[in-house]
Amino acid sequence: MNETISNFKRSKYFGFAILFGLALFFWAFFKVLSPHNFGTSKLMANYLQTSIQYAVGGCGFYFIVVMGMFDFSIGANIVLSSLVGVLLSRQFGYYGLILGCLLSGTLIGSFNGFLYTRLRIPSMIVTVGLMLVLESVANYVVKLDPAGFPGKLTSANILAFNHAPWNYVVAVIAFLLMGFILRFTKLGTYFNAIGSNEFVAKSMGINVEKYKFIGFVLLHFFIGIMALLTVSYGKGMLAVTGMGSMSRNFKPLMGTFFGVAFKKYGIPVSAIVIGEFIITLIFNGLVALNVPTTINDFVTGAVLLAIVTLTNRGLRGSVVK
Amino acid sequence: MKKVLLVLFSVILVSSLLFAGGSGEKAAAVKKPLIGVSIWSSTDTLGSQVKRMLDAAAKALDVNIMYVDQGHISEQVTASAETLVAAGVDGFIICNSASAEMTSVINTATRNKVYTAQFFRVIDPVANPNEHALAVASPYYVGSVHEDEVDNGINLIKILTEKGNRKIALEGWEAGDATFLLRWEGYRKGIDLWNAANPNDKAVLLDPQYGGTTSDTGRATAEAIINANPDIDALIVAGGGGDTLVGALAAIESLGLKGKIDVVSTDFLADLDEQLATGGMAAESGGHFCDPLFAFMMVYNAIKGNYEVPTDGYYEILFPYLYVASSEDYNAYAKYFVEELPYNADELRAMGNMSFAELKAAAERLSIEDVISRR
Repeated sequence: MNETISNFKRSKYFGFAILFGLALFFWAFFKVLSPHNFGTSKLMANYLQTSIQYAVGGCGFYFIVVMGMFDFSIGANIVLSSLVGVLLSRQFGYYGLILGCLLSGTLIGSFNGFLYTRLRIPSMIVTVGLMLVLESVANYVVKLDPAGFPGKLTSANILAFNHAPWNYVVAVIAFLLMGFILRFTKLGTYFNAIGSNEFVAKSMGINVEKYKFIGFVLLHFFIGIMALLTVSYGKGMLAVTGMGSMSRNFKPLMGTFFGVAFKKYGIPVSAIVIGEFIITLIFNGLVALNVPTTINDFVTGAVLLAIVTLTNRGLRGSVVK
Repeated sequence: MKKVLLVLFSVILVSSLLFAGGSGEKAAAVKKPLIGVSIWSSTDTLGSQVKRMLDAAAKALDVNIMYVDQGHISEQVTASAETLVAAGVDGFIICNSASAEMTSVINTATRNKVYTAQFFRVIDPVANPNEHALAVASPYYVGSVHEDEVDNGINLIKILTEKGNRKIALEGWEAGDATFLLRWEGYRKGIDLWNAANPNDKAVLLDPQYGGTTSDTGRATAEAIINANPDIDALIVAGGGGDTLVGALAAIESLGLKGKIDVVSTDFLADLDEQLATGGMAAESGGHFCDPLFAFMMVYNAIKGNYEVPTDGYYEILFPYLYVASSEDYNAYAKYFVEELPYNADELRAMGNMSFAELKAAAERLSIEDVISRR
């Protein structure tokens, strides 16, 4: 009996139970406090629509966070890839928008990966430098836009990914691709091995540099998809400088924390998607209670810390990287 | 690999020296004044309009101009003043975020003997007495050009309540931003005025939620506001450079509420004409992208020695807002403010020689009719 319970506690079903339990808890909490303007089926669909773009970015982030690395240039890539997509969409319509976002994102990932593996300095330092470079390039790209409303998608003919069903189609394809890579290719295993112990992974014959490079490329490919969804969602993108893009890193990262925390149950992709949904649920619940945004940020951050601590706290005496 | 990197860095460094040498030669030939612009963003909707106007003025007056985007982040605002001074500007204009930042900005200007003026902003002597005293006493703080934001807020509420809106939501961009606080005060005063005059038909203004300055965060926040308050009649998008409004309009459209929720704002969009015609927008106040032009002219004249900067006060211009509530209003605005600039090169050159009283009068009479009378 005890073994059955113990096995259940290690299974993906237990992971799903926790995730759905958390979502249900927060839904019920806000529903009780604000019954009329929170949590109806229509509103839940709206919350999901808001959260999927961050979940796609969170999936990409997972590839490198699980290897113990970090990337500060995510936000700058979203800005630059979006603006490249918008610029190309003026000439080539949807082909330009989609390929502009995805190719720009992937190329930036290759560049990041190349610099990180060649320069051999910590990923944080490399990517902070690249963030500044990419922000600067984005400002030049927006100046190339001949439209009267630079960087904005004003035509209704280019807004399919702004709403259902196409935004869901793109996001679901990204989630399935992420699941496929982790489950059916050796990449997922190698990424986990490198994250657990890089030296052991190397001695086992894994080409660590190569897989770190691939991790960066995959991350930024997913960021390209996120850029497509984000620029469509907001009908445009604003070019910023002076690390102004930094704040865009953290919402996807919150989902990644969920993914890492639930990795032990073998459901990182589902955890990222449901985690981002829970964060959006909390944000909307607090707005429904008319809580100021500043307190909203505090509560969201505190809840995230609490969830990750409760689900992924190391054993006493264990080494935390 | 190391050799490749070494060669790459060497090429970059040599290239930068060549560029520096090029500008040095030019600088040696004719010493043009260099005026800096510290702005939240030179690429968003309002920021790009400001840049277009200032670039035209700099070209007409044969002045070099340099922009630093600071994102309205306090430490970046103060750092932008130091960056511009380090770059060798003779003066700079600045749109700060909070008045507290002006202590550092004015001290930087005074210490380096560089003229400065604020645009879109003024230091409130009651709320910020220390900063105000510093500005008054500094021989390098030329002054400020700003709008009557409280009055603007009152007028927008008046437009909304007269259109029959009684439950009004508010989307700001940054908590604590000096301009937002003034506009919010105006909205509250507008509501008080309406309720005092109509005790049996009261209007209510919801507390603000902040949507940042990007369109995706603007949309997410607007959706959250509307989801939480499905019975609102109107939404005020207080500002934020225009992108917040773009996102809020996308939210309303995606929820199928276009034309059902009256939206007003204080940043003119490039597609305002279409938004007004299709019910996306109810009214907008704006046209204030010319405000920085007058701050620029004040600093230009101070550098040229035409304006003596007092040490017991400063120059101040109250810039008027334009209000647009229909396609017809917008067509006239678009002709004289969007398709072409409200001042041509000759008028800008003449403005560079105006006394402060003449400059102030020119700012205060700027309107569509004023531009028509000059064409």
